[in-house]
Amino acid sequence: MKRRAFLSGVGVAGATALAGCINDTSNQSDNTLTVATYSSFTGEDSAGNWLKSAFESENGDATVEFTTPENGVNQFIQRKSEGAPIDADLFVGLNTGELVRADEQLDDPLFAETDGEVDGAGSVKPALDFDPDGRVIPYDTGYISLVYDEGEVDAPETFDALLEPAYEDALIAQNAQQSDPGRAFLLWTIHEKGADGYLDYWQALDDNGVRILSDWEPAYNAYTNEEAPMVVSYSTDQVFYHGEGVDMSRHQVGFLNEQGYANPEGMAQFADADNPELARSFMSFVLGTEAQSEIATRNVQFPAVEGVEPGGDFGEYALEPPEPVTFGYDELAGNVDGWIEDWARQVVSN
Amino acid sequence: MWRRDGRLLPAGVAATLAALVVVFYYPVGSVLASAVHAGGRLTLAPLVSVVGDPFYHDLFAFTAYQALLSTVASVVVGLPGAYLISRFEFPGRQFLRSVTILPFVLPSIMVAVGFLAMFGRTGLLNDVLAVVGLGPVELTFTLELIVLAHAFYNAPLVTRLVTAAWESVDPARVETARTLGASPVRAFRDVTLPQLLPALLTASVLTFIFTFMSFPIVLALGGLDLATVEVWLFARVQNLDLTEAATLGAIETALSLGLIYVYLRFEATQLRAGGESRGRARTPLFAGWRSLVDPRRLALFAYAGAALVLFVGPLVSLVVESVTTPDGAFTLRYYEFLLAQQSSTAVGTTRPFPAVRNSLLFGAGALVLALPMGVVVSVVATRDSRGSRLAEALLTAPLAVSGIVLGLGMLRSLVFGTTLFGYRLTVTGPVAIVAAHAVAAYPFVSRNVTPALGSIDDRLVDAARALGADRSTALVDIELPLVVPALVAGAAFAFAISIGEFDSTVLLAEGVDSATMPVALERYTGNRSLGPNLGPATAMGTVLLAVTTVSFVLIDRVGGRWQ
Repeated sequence: MKRRAFLSGVGVAGATALAGCINDTSNQSDNTLTVATYSSFTGEDSAGNWLKSAFESENGDATVEFTTPENGVNQFIQRKSEGAPIDADLFVGLNTGELVRADEQLDDPLFAETDGEVDGAGSVKPALDFDPDGRVIPYDTGYISLVYDEGEVDAPETFDALLEPAYEDALIAQNAQQSDPGRAFLLWTIHEKGADGYLDYWQALDDNGVRILSDWEPAYNAYTNEEAPMVVSYSTDQVFYHGEGVDMSRHQVGFLNEQGYANPEGMAQFADADNPELARSFMSFVLGTEAQSEIATRNVQFPAVEGVEPGGDFGEYALEPPEPVTFGYDELAGNVDGWIEDWARQVVSN
Repeated sequence: MWRRDGRLLPAGVAATLAALVVVFYYPVGSVLASAVHAGGRLTLAPLVSVVGDPFYHDLFAFTAYQALLSTVASVVVGLPGAYLISRFEFPGRQFLRSVTILPFVLPSIMVAVGFLAMFGRTGLLNDVLAVVGLGPVELTFTLELIVLAHAFYNAPLVTRLVTAAWESVDPARVETARTLGASPVRAFRDVTLPQLLPALLTASVLTFIFTFMSFPIVLALGGLDLATVEVWLFARVQNLDLTEAATLGAIETALSLGLIYVYLRFEATQLRAGGESRGRARTPLFAGWRSLVDPRRLALFAYAGAALVLFVGPLVSLVVESVTTPDGAFTLRYYEFLLAQQSSTAVGTTRPFPAVRNSLLFGAGALVLALPMGVVVSVVATRDSRGSRLAEALLTAPLAVSGIVLGLGMLRSLVFGTTLFGYRLTVTGPVAIVAAHAVAAYPFVSRNVTPALGSIDDRLVDAARALGADRSTALVDIELPLVVPALVAGAAFAFAISIGEFDSTVLLAEGVDSATMPVALERYTGNRSLGPNLGPATAMGTVLLAVTTVSFVLIDRVGGRWQ
């Protein structure tokens, strides 16, 4: 799940490159697939590790290696613009805003168009498909929603309701400049209030005491510590929390206006990949039914492929919004940076 | 002057400069250059647009305001501590002196967690206040809490530097003043205070610079409405608006460097004031029933109580969190998690024991490099030659550059690599980490050593030189043995900076194998195997706390033997 870990003191753009292979091209054999992704996608019990073992056992001599720079795709945008080698074949964990940024920053393409060459790409839910140029293929999605404590507040039902006195000092959101759910929530308000109206809406939210913390981790931690009874989070919250003796009233999911903002995660092959065929066969593998189900369960996100129903706890506790909304590539291109900066300046000036 | 010196000193200066160029000046320069360089030519446009933007006026003003408040708070909290440690004798004094360095090593995410657990709405403080019928206090996400956290980090710096100065105040001069009829207050004001002032100013200037460039604490404990320049700079970097980020970084660096230069000029005028000193006898803190009526001691006890809340409270809360479930029940599963990580075979797993080992190894390496570098800078600083203040300011520049600018520079120059003569050179791995830590740490060594070196009687060195010793020999044989306490203090700082360093470590670490304790801790905050939960990170934080406490007590004890 791409709740990018809150970075303590992370200088650079989030910075981390705990990446064994980034500068190590020497042992790059023909059958090594280097996958760049975010850190919680790898490690014990992760979707990444399941994919690695399953893909390797199905593909004889292929080896999957992960590289996890914590500034994510920025690392590769900067590498490309500085003329440094990319040293990875595939990027896993790209969202719409990041793709827009990559395209706006670079003259040469960072990713290759693979849509037609990946088996299963056609079965991805059309609503999640966010790249008009067929480079990025979605493999899962989260839905941004509110999580609230029903012992403290009534179910928050509409955006306008959040401005009422009943919700004074009640909501914790995240900084849209650096947090995925924070950005999604801001875009959701723009989706509802329009590019002309969202700043006024946020001014009213601010007047009603909304708090903007840096990222999902501190925001959720503050929510857990009862600093406020509502937090911007994911509709899969209960998958983590259900269990014996757990008070689920603290983990209610609220879909404002009956909606949830979809934040699809995609994968794309680097244009400079050393192993493009292997990258594409890995992408096909990720779209397979079993892989989709495992990714959903282990990454706690919804599958991207039609008709995949992960059972078990995920099937039982993950809530899907009645009406998913999201901005597509064309709506974000040329707009998203300005929207976010205007918003941030308004919040800082308050 | 130089030509009569031995080879050691010039070689030291050259090595220090070379290290600085590779891991500091070149990376930082490459970032700051983009503030004045666009489309292949020089331009002032980015600078003009930032300077002309009222939004930035407010941002810089707020940043300076909170830095000023933080500095005042740090002095108010740190100064009585220095008085207590330097003037009173009590059980555990030496231990207390050692662990004042501890806040430096604590990753800010842990401090933030500890602070929220201590001062939050449902925190320990409010629980205690509720028992006595007070409160609750609402401190979370306020400027007050940020200032308090800055005091947590910087008051110990004030305490350390001022304690060292206070201990070297010549008792004979105080007694002379007293025999001449000065009241204790008068003697303090006329004799002691002037000797404390340089240390106090050093600490204040450093605190101001650090809190001006504060980033993780503001990010973790404040909302976006309390953003500082550095928080905004970070957001610009994330958005890849590198020109604007570089411009903000350049302005910030210029302000900090200017402050350091002004301060160094002041320090230089104070250096010659010191003399030979054996220190004053300390008064016992506990003197039977009289302690309870002595207003001075009562005030100190009250201070100790407040300090416990501020310093020990968050740390205890942290340890408590590491053995408590979200529902408040006792649990060991976070430590079981650490063991499971240790035995995991999955790729990309950060294991705790290698992280502990790496932290200690890198810390030792940084200490070995930073001590000579710091001494070299101190020798330059204690010279009177023209331009040595400027040279010193430039050699102290790592203090003036924000972590984000340095990290970005390292990323672009060292991690991405540079093509030279057709080969792509990349500097990564443990050697680069140790070099980066040493560069971050040596200014602290020189800030400790310079005043001590400056107070050595010149005649001692002159005598040695007259007897045929070259400058390097005089330094090693005569001066360094006289400043051992300052060297030990510098060593502790170097070690602490290395242990707590995060930004460049994480950039330069080659794979999970060179992760350090703070890196492991950060990794565990993002691990969801136990649900959204800081438990694993608090367990790692507790390990970090234990390992570093033992290390500092050892450094101080071992160093103390040579005093």
